[in-house]
Amino acid sequence: MNRRISCLAAIGLMLFCSRTWAELVVEITKGQSDAIPIAIVPFSSPEAAAASFDVAQLVSDDLARSGRFKSTDRRDMIEQPHTGAGISFDDWRRLNNDYIVVGQVQPLGQDRFNITFELYNILNHQRLLGYQISANKPGLRLASHQVADMVFEKILGIRGAFATRVAYISVLGSLPHKDYRLIVADADGENPHVVMQSGEPLMSPAWSPDGQSLAYVSFENRLPSVYVQTLKTGERQRVSARAGVNQAPAWSPDGKKLALTLSTRDGNLDIYVLDLTTQALTRITDDPGIDTEPQWSKDGQSLYFTSDRAGGPQIYRIGTQSGDKPRRLTFQGSYNARPRLSPDESQLAFVTQEDGGYRIATMDLRGRGDVQVLTKGHFDVSPSYAPNGAEIIYASRDRGRGVLALVSADGRVQERLVSSEGELQEPAWAPF
Amino acid sequence: MRDFLREHRWAVVVSVLLHGLLVAGLVVATLNPHRTPPPVQPLPIDATVVDSQVLHAAQRAQSDQEAARARAAADAQAAAAAKAAEEARAAEEAKAAEQAKAAEQAKEAEQAKEAEEAKAAEQAKEAEQANEAEQAKAAAQAKAAEHAKADAARAAAAEQQRLIDARKAADAKQAAEARQAAEAKQAADAKRAADERARADREAELRKQLADEEHRSAVESGPLRDSYIARLRNKIQSVWIKPPSASVGLDCLVEVTQIPGGEVTGARVTQCNGDAAARQSIENAVYRASPLPDPPDPALFERNFVFRFKPNE
Repeated sequence: MNRRISCLAAIGLMLFCSRTWAELVVEITKGQSDAIPIAIVPFSSPEAAAASFDVAQLVSDDLARSGRFKSTDRRDMIEQPHTGAGISFDDWRRLNNDYIVVGQVQPLGQDRFNITFELYNILNHQRLLGYQISANKPGLRLASHQVADMVFEKILGIRGAFATRVAYISVLGSLPHKDYRLIVADADGENPHVVMQSGEPLMSPAWSPDGQSLAYVSFENRLPSVYVQTLKTGERQRVSARAGVNQAPAWSPDGKKLALTLSTRDGNLDIYVLDLTTQALTRITDDPGIDTEPQWSKDGQSLYFTSDRAGGPQIYRIGTQSGDKPRRLTFQGSYNARPRLSPDESQLAFVTQEDGGYRIATMDLRGRGDVQVLTKGHFDVSPSYAPNGAEIIYASRDRGRGVLALVSADGRVQERLVSSEGELQEPAWAPF
Repeated sequence: MRDFLREHRWAVVVSVLLHGLLVAGLVVATLNPHRTPPPVQPLPIDATVVDSQVLHAAQRAQSDQEAARARAAADAQAAAAAKAAEEARAAEEAKAAEQAKAAEQAKEAEQAKEAEEAKAAEQAKEAEQANEAEQAKAAAQAKAAEHAKADAARAAAAEQQRLIDARKAADAKQAAEARQAAEAKQAADAKRAADERARADREAELRKQLADEEHRSAVESGPLRDSYIARLRNKIQSVWIKPPSASVGLDCLVEVTQIPGGEVTGARVTQCNGDAAARQSIENAVYRASPLPDPPDPALFERNFVFRFKPNE
């Protein structure tokens, strides 16, 4: 009898032991790329500020435009708290919100305001952010983008790029009276400023690494020349006006050099590097085909470019040291051009031809070189990465008109930017 | 006095004889030996408990034995009494004969001395008186025998009573001891039964645990467990919004606490090589999945378990 009991006990112990290591572990290998539900509650604000500006709406629009968030419709908000203490977390959770932003705009003397905001995780009631930003009335827009940036970064772990700018070319009118403008606007397309205006074509704007200057091509003397213009002062300098073609300027990461496409006397296009301080010119490629659209690697040691040396345009990479041989990167399709590196250099964005249309595609530079076509338009060109790498801005056509559009770097979200009048071309996203 | 004696000489002789007889009878009765009753053997109580049938048989045998013994004693007593009475009578007769002889001699001497006194009448009277004496003697003898017999009977009865009392006492003692033994046995039995029950309960409990464990381990190692895991996985994967940093190489453990019904009451990332956003997305995914799916078998419910977030894309 006793033996039987001890035997049972032994088996029980064995089972108990086995249960300890057989603890339930469920492995999760997949997730969703869904937008994160967030509620941006309208900020309380004095009449004067409210009349001109809705901070919460802008924050909400920014986050929604990124494609990574979906903002709760204000009409679905049962209550509209302005501080964390007023949040009924269970109610907001019932509306399937993960996060909530509450805040207020308070007047701070003449034409000055304090924006106070808090970010909460509704699921665990944790307060994630609490900040105050001071701004004058015109600055409310930028301050609101900054709120969106902080929320974006806190939740996603990557820096927001809402408070950045984009440069692009706008073409108005029709031949023979065309009006070309170089415009710098907020990243959401709002608040555009004309930086340069010309009756002759303006092309290929490129931001200096410090965001203070733009290089671009102007045909103002009927011949293409490369200019560098400092935005604050409006001061501009012609840096390359050689015989033949001067185009596609690209800043070196240290901001001291420009890579350019120049032509030899026989019209052959090759890549050169121009030292801005010494004016020294270094030839990088030497091939009878067309080599153009250079883009620097982050370390400044190599250049990505487009070449038709193999027939159709394809993308290559070449070291900036002399004698380096270019290596072809794209093999898929007959047309791959205008390479742009993502800020972390994990991806290369470019224009590819697919089904007779031009589309934005990316190539994975870290893995097996997988190519993903991100857009579905007929004329999607001129990609440019946001400084956080999350999105790509590009030029597209909508009902015969040139517009600017955004696509998330994973292709999941596409968004058209608000469009001022004119044909919009060649967007370039500014650095932070 | 002399005249009185002379006048009532026969009456005095008879009286003396009768008194002598009475004294002899009394001596005999008094000399009746005092016999101690047979010792009553106390029934030894054996500690080992036997069957009640055996117990009864033994008891019966014992009482039979006692009765036989008592009977034998009574018989022996009666025989002894009878013998004593016989002997007493014989002694009495002998003595009486002697006395009679002495009286005869005295009478002869008297007769010789007073021969002439009314010889014929006296002889007749003498014969008559002898006859009377004879009769009285017989009566006395009979009376003495009767007395002795009555005494013997009384003694026998007393002995009987004493035996009965002794047996009663022995019976009572035995009964008390038997009762005590029975009570002790009952208590022991009850204790044994309780112990047995307790052991049976323990065993049953252990058996049940074992059965539960077996059931649990059966379902845990079986398709039901796989199905439960799949349900949990699907639920979590359908609500986990991966931040950009969560890609191949991320490996995070989150400890989850749920209550019956699946409501998540706690989610805490423990080991994780991801950034704050990844950790937060993981904890949020667990909360978003609340209530977690019910297990297909209640035995599979785990209050605490672990999700391992290890994206393969």
